Amino acid sequence: MSAAVAERIDDDLWSAIGDPTRRRMLDLLLADGDGTSTTLSGQLPVTRQAVAKHLGVLDRVGLVRATPTGREKRYRVDDAQLARAVAQLNAVGAAWDARLQRIKRIAEAIQRSQDG
Amino acid sequence: MEFGTIEREIYIEADPEVVFEVVSSPDHLEQWWPDEARYDPVPGATGDIVFGERDAGGTVVQFAVVDAEPPRTFSFRWTQPADEPAVEGNSLLVTFELTPARGGTLLKMTESGFREMGWEAALLEQQYLEHATGWDFYLPRLAPYVASLEVRP
Repeated sequence: MSAAVAERIDDDLWSAIGDPTRRRMLDLLLADGDGTSTTLSGQLPVTRQAVAKHLGVLDRVGLVRATPTGREKRYRVDDAQLARAVAQLNAVGAAWDARLQRIKRIAEAIQRSQDG
Repeated sequence: MEFGTIEREIYIEADPEVVFEVVSSPDHLEQWWPDEARYDPVPGATGDIVFGERDAGGTVVQFAVVDAEPPRTFSFRWTQPADEPAVEGNSLLVTFELTPARGGTLLKMTESGFREMGWEAALLEQQYLEHATGWDFYLPRLAPYVASLEVRP
């Protein structure tokens, strides 16, 4: 996969997570193990059609995987892709860890010079 | 499950007044984050921070002070488009909260807005991480080099 393609997927991945209804759906799928448009819409204040549309978005970025069962598709969270999204955010956290260490060093040096 | 917010805490052996100066004043910001910072550390003030050189291909990023209550709270928004006021949805919000603790200061930092901003903001952050790592690599090497210049006759 080229870097440009990887970047685009990351972008879509983030937009997919960016929606509160879709995040709620991921929470429900993680809690229940799996779900369909019907079971999810029963637990959310949105129509089955809207849920199906959101599931389509999550499916396209690989955050959920569908298996056809009877009339409806059954969805599960893709753990690897979810871990990937979380890891990207962790990189941002690491940037702040480095900044906070520098803030600590600077402030403590100032304090020592004032006390001395 | 919480996406899009980063929370960190660090204990600093310095008074809240000192820590507040370090997290809020543009001169100090330049010591721990961007190469250049231009803003007044007062609520509502706007300015920018620069990574690299302003006139030589550096990245200029918008910066707006949201709250400044010495020595307790300092918060700002950044990454908003240059022609837009900084609001939720177009920028990342960074908040520093300072609490006196054990003769020093407990500094709590939160950065939020990633879920509204989308992935570009996180990529931007990662870019700055690499930038910061670069300085961590070069600075320790620079000091002995400068010292070696000084001992020359």
